[in-house]
Amino acid sequence: MKKNLLIILGSSLLILVMALMPFFGACAPEEPPPPPPEEEEEEPPPPPPKVYKVCISQIVTHPDLDSNRQGIMDAMAEEGFIEGENVDFIIRNAQGDMTVAVSIADYYVSLKPDIIHAITTPMAQTTVAAAEGTDISIIFSSVTDPVTAGLVPSWTEAAPNVTGVSDWFEMPPQVEFVLSVLPDIKILGTAYNPGEVNAAVQIEILNDVAPDYGLTIVEATAATTADVYAAGMSLVGRCDAVWIPTCNTVGGVGIESIIKVGEEHQLPIFGSAVGMVETGLVGGASCDYYWIGKQAGYMAARILKGESPADIPPMKSAVSTVVYPAAAERMGITIPQAVIDEADIVIEE
Amino acid sequence: MSENKSLLQLRGITKIFSRGTIDEVNALDNINLDVNAEDYITIIGSNGAGKTTMLNVVAGVFPPERGGKIIVNGIDITGLSEYKHAAYVGRVYQDPNIGTAAKMTIEENLAMAVLRGQTRGLRAASNKQRRELFHSALAPLGLGLEDRLNALVGTLSSGQRQAVALVMATISKPALLLLDEHIANLDPKTAQIVLELTEMIVKKEKMTTMMVTHNMELALRYGSRLIMMHEGKIVVDLNEEQKAGLTINDLVSAFEKASGRRFIEDKILLRR
Amino acid sequence: MLDVVSGILSFSFYEGLVFGLVAIGVYLTLRVLAFPDLTVDGSYTLGGGMAAVLIVAGVHPFLAMLAAIGVGLCAGLVTGLLNTKLRLPALLAGILMMVGLWSVNLRVMGGANVSLLREVTAFDKVAELLGLRSGSIVVSITVALVLAVIVFFVLNWFLRTEIGLSLRACGDNEQMVRSLGVDTDKNILLGCSISNGLVALAGAMVAQGQGFADVGMGIGMIVMGLASVIIGEALFRPRGVARLLVAAVGGAFVYRLFITVALRLGMAPGDLKLITAVLVIIALAIPFIQKKLRREWIPPAVRW
Repeated sequence: MKKNLLIILGSSLLILVMALMPFFGACAPEEPPPPPPEEEEEEPPPPPPKVYKVCISQIVTHPDLDSNRQGIMDAMAEEGFIEGENVDFIIRNAQGDMTVAVSIADYYVSLKPDIIHAITTPMAQTTVAAAEGTDISIIFSSVTDPVTAGLVPSWTEAAPNVTGVSDWFEMPPQVEFVLSVLPDIKILGTAYNPGEVNAAVQIEILNDVAPDYGLTIVEATAATTADVYAAGMSLVGRCDAVWIPTCNTVGGVGIESIIKVGEEHQLPIFGSAVGMVETGLVGGASCDYYWIGKQAGYMAARILKGESPADIPPMKSAVSTVVYPAAAERMGITIPQAVIDEADIVIEE
Repeated sequence: MSENKSLLQLRGITKIFSRGTIDEVNALDNINLDVNAEDYITIIGSNGAGKTTMLNVVAGVFPPERGGKIIVNGIDITGLSEYKHAAYVGRVYQDPNIGTAAKMTIEENLAMAVLRGQTRGLRAASNKQRRELFHSALAPLGLGLEDRLNALVGTLSSGQRQAVALVMATISKPALLLLDEHIANLDPKTAQIVLELTEMIVKKEKMTTMMVTHNMELALRYGSRLIMMHEGKIVVDLNEEQKAGLTINDLVSAFEKASGRRFIEDKILLRR
Repeated sequence: MLDVVSGILSFSFYEGLVFGLVAIGVYLTLRVLAFPDLTVDGSYTLGGGMAAVLIVAGVHPFLAMLAAIGVGLCAGLVTGLLNTKLRLPALLAGILMMVGLWSVNLRVMGGANVSLLREVTAFDKVAELLGLRSGSIVVSITVALVLAVIVFFVLNWFLRTEIGLSLRACGDNEQMVRSLGVDTDKNILLGCSISNGLVALAGAMVAQGQGFADVGMGIGMIVMGLASVIIGEALFRPRGVARLLVAAVGGAFVYRLFITVALRLGMAPGDLKLITAVLVIIALAIPFIQKKLRREWIPPAVRW
């Protein structure tokens, strides 16, 4: 009996100490800069270089959002804002829980940082709400429609403290890419989470654009990642190929299930983001989230150097064509050589 | 309208369980009974005789088969749901846990009971007047419960709980009081106390009472009328004069004569 | 250091109040009525979505919140009807409502997300009154506290009325209540309605605070409510209606406190949930360990 008690107590204490260690580290007072040893004059020592506080938050983990974050950090480094030297990056992830997202936003605002990077729509919305009344600069990225989301007043005008990079892309190039690989298809399937506004918007536009190309669209929906496989399976036999929008549920966290369906049933799957394609899709006229992240990083650099966010209008995303020949083979098709030659990114295995 | 002002009339009450299966049993078989105001009936019988089933039917727990009628004070209440029967019927169960709410105080339990059959509204459930009422209802029991209105019922002993259940069943003065072997789970000393409390309340409030018991001696000693049931029928019905002075052996003979069977329930015969 | 601690405590206090409303709603069904109601995930979002849509349409935020309570009441009523009239088991009724409301919410909101960033919310109104910026924690706490206090007094009074008492007795001994002449079906309907009305109110509050209503905002609310109620009972051991209500809010506060602390510690992002769970386990193990050390009698485990 006593031995069990000791084990419980001991492990709890251990976990507690481990959990609190970074806390103690964060609380350590900042060391004053060492005075230059030879300085004898009355001149005060030069002020220490300013360390910028930059907070980055995202709603959930998946390859594209993670590339977004990496792009931000890399771009800022290019512009002279290097982690460990003059920038302190604080990074949090809401793990798909919206109440945690609110917590993160409140936490960031309390830190009074120089910049907050908010990745994805709900994260950006709650950050802007939490920062209302302060003058913290907020840069959003991977927000499909920042105007409807209330982040900026219009596509050409930034808000006083808010600007950013949208992952909005034009639909025709998406469809045209699919047709360049499979010119004879008639029915295009898609799977998405109608609970994600970014995905819903894209599907609406897809339905508008498709008839111009003689295509019929067939939809499957997945409310959670657990439903993605079933959604994918429901498309088998109902369409000639599948296109996945930038949807966190289906194109992000659930993409592996879709790939499984595509490979098992020889159904070619196209994507709209580089990370999505890299995981194993045929290809796509894809949003490069790393590129988006970099644009956001450049914006941050401009702001830190003195520009006001209001002067930086929001950006839309550019698209790069990506192909993954080996993945295409696994799904039963061969990408025409001409398409491979023209592609911006070719993924080798 | 009968001259005799029957409080409760049971007409053609039949109850069949597990109809159509091997276990089909005729728990009640065409029971006809008139209970008069202020009758204190003790009901006795072997296991499966239908005693508790009869109480359940009167209380509305389940309806009788089609054709049966239950009439209380001239009102036909057959087929009404259990909570509608509650206006007419106060009940004390064998298990003290069923009749009271353990996680609520004595005061709250009584506050629930005092509104039996009435619509409940948004008035405070308990006020000074009601507390005084509870006090005067509990004081005659002599158990000190009237000073412990804020005690959780779950902390009381079985006997005390049963006493509270008794008060709860009678405080709103329902037409009928049904006692279903309510002292069977208590130790002899406590059982005696609760029995005497029952006597006291029944006499004081002049309650029409039906008490089911396994104890022949009790059935003879208490009550103004004795009913014996067997296989869903009433086989013996003795009024006050008829039962006065009877012994258990007399009762057993009366049973055998009425039912044509030997009476072989050891449990009942051996109870003292 | 002091402002870090005060930041953590004040934010957790705000969240404790807001999710305390959800906890009180769950307490009403789970404990008072002994009815495990999973509708919460759906009614929370319904309240948030309804309030958001109305505010965008120009309705005064306070009225929008009243409307949110209204739809919450309706949602709870349907759950209750599924159980009492169609005889669906309580758990199933709640699950079906939770699932069905997801689609209803998409319709109510006209999409997956309704932005409130450019709208005047209740928080903005209060901020104006207090002369502070509307994102400030003082404003948030004021709004949450006022609502929580109102709810507390109303429920505290209600649960002591004749109807309220019969609701409480229902969860304790339904058989007894029926034999005392109470229509227990009506009690279930009343309790479920009130509970989901409260939860919808919480959703309406949160939507305005976070700047948007989203169809996914309710996911996990029932877990949060259950955890808050159970943690509150374990830590505060309340007796009596008033203390039970406070304990529900207290449990929500403790649970959110641990999440906030774990978040600010900056663990690897994936570990946040584990750390939260571990902290809660430690918190609940403390009374148990204390008893063991004092060789006191330990009561048997409860199932829920």
